[in-house]
Amino acid sequence: MGIRFNQVSYDYSSFAQGLYTAIKDINLEITEKHEFIALVGHTGSGKSTLAKHMNALIFPSEGNLEIFGEVITAKRNKKIKYNNIRKKVGLVFQFPEYQLFEETVEKDIMFGPMNFKITQEEAKKIAKESLNLVGLNDSYLQRNPYNLSGGEKKRVSIAGILAMDPEILVLDEPTSGLDPAGKRVLMNLFKDINEKTGKTIVIITHDMDLVYQYFNRVLVMNEGRLIYDGDPEKLFREKDLFKNHLDYPNTIKVLKYLNETLNLNLNIYQKTLEAALSEIERVVKE
Amino acid sequence: MSYIEVKDLTFSYNEKTNVLEAVNINIEKGEWIAVLGHNGSGKSTLAKTLVGLLEPKEGEIFIDGQILSEESAYEIRKKIGIVFQNPDNQFVGVTVRDDIAFGMENLCIPREEMLSKIDFYAKKVNMLDFLDKEPANLSGGQKQRVAIAGILAMQSDIIIFDEATSMLDPFSREELIKYIKTLHKDGLTIIMITHDINEALLADKILVMNKGKVYAFEETETIMKKKEIFTDSHLELPVSLDIANSLELSDKHKEIREKLWEYALIK
Repeated sequence: MGIRFNQVSYDYSSFAQGLYTAIKDINLEITEKHEFIALVGHTGSGKSTLAKHMNALIFPSEGNLEIFGEVITAKRNKKIKYNNIRKKVGLVFQFPEYQLFEETVEKDIMFGPMNFKITQEEAKKIAKESLNLVGLNDSYLQRNPYNLSGGEKKRVSIAGILAMDPEILVLDEPTSGLDPAGKRVLMNLFKDINEKTGKTIVIITHDMDLVYQYFNRVLVMNEGRLIYDGDPEKLFREKDLFKNHLDYPNTIKVLKYLNETLNLNLNIYQKTLEAALSEIERVVKE
Repeated sequence: MSYIEVKDLTFSYNEKTNVLEAVNINIEKGEWIAVLGHNGSGKSTLAKTLVGLLEPKEGEIFIDGQILSEESAYEIRKKIGIVFQNPDNQFVGVTVRDDIAFGMENLCIPREEMLSKIDFYAKKVNMLDFLDKEPANLSGGQKQRVAIAGILAMQSDIIIFDEATSMLDPFSREELIKYIKTLHKDGLTIIMITHDINEALLADKILVMNKGKVYAFEETETIMKKKEIFTDSHLELPVSLDIANSLELSDKHKEIREKLWEYALIK
């Protein structure tokens, strides 16, 4: 077992709002290998709080969670090496490009591994490999991160996490702010890493087109509770997403419009353009 | 003369490559323009030169007949406001009230007038109940609305949205879009930089930037019919038009194609 939440709740206390519960009674299992999971929910639904638990960045107020066998509770346990947990579960924040700070890409990627008592040479080798894994060539190693494009910065910051070789990767909205082509490149990259290395990847996103096309497991948070855990298509069929302040994938919305305005009988649950087209052809032929 | 005129604008961050090259644009008062383009196409740089945050290497910008220069920048900035992608990057005040006041303070508006304006514009963006709250505790959509109130309070009538919806969840995004629609109705000139084609479809005209140049600038409905503009600029068409373009041209498909176009152009 990679990560298991047992009845986890988390209370924030803030000066302005007092005490409030960000997540409540969460039970959830994430296998350490081969999972590719989307985590969705509107702003304030608790998804980022949930993600922060996954590498023990914050501790549950109630309940406990197991991360690679270590039991995390509200109380700090001196026997647990929290840094080891953070090495096993890599968390990439939203806008990770703000966290690039070294003068070369190479130094930036090396920063993480160097904290784990390895030689400079080894760290350099790892930096190069991680950079290649995110689809950037060696010429980037000596470049200044500030002069890279938004998409390139994102990739470098992801390479920085990969360099620490986590077992599980958790990414908070990695595709926001990218153009459509950049989005696909990055999603294909994650899928590729997932397939090649078997690493479990959890991605927070608002983009339901991506959820439908890339994932076979989706977690939905609403008002601090996990209200759905399963197949995306089943979610679109069963839940009223608008009620949960979420949206439907574009193919579903378009086909639904055709059904309603032309009185057709299209199966609206089509993931891709090609699938939508052949469904329309099928109905036209009838 | 158009309300906004950009003439042969060229900009570069270094000597080597131009981020903007010979950009010519005319925008009329009250128009809603969407700006599309791949990452690095020059969209945001264009926005920053329009508000005088960056100085052009060559070329001129006229706003309401006035040339943008070091001397006129102060006057012109009153007319034009910008809402950024990350709402956290644009707050200066301790409370929402302070934040809306900030621009007016710089214009030396008398206190009494300022206070009544704050109330008026906070109400307009539906944030009256939040005036004493810390901006940090607001949702992304609320933060963007506070930013808009600050701009309106300065009597600006041009607002640039620089990917202002890209960090919002679908619900807050929808809310902000609704709000932009009412601003448009009120006669404000809107320039909306976006990666979301569905959002761009709401505009009167679409400007496509490609490698620092204006690749196309046409009425929304006209430009959507020119598929090649999108492929050449590495942009995606909306799903409905992708389907419409791929359907056979037979009569049987005609009705469906028409509906798909109708769907794409619903405002």
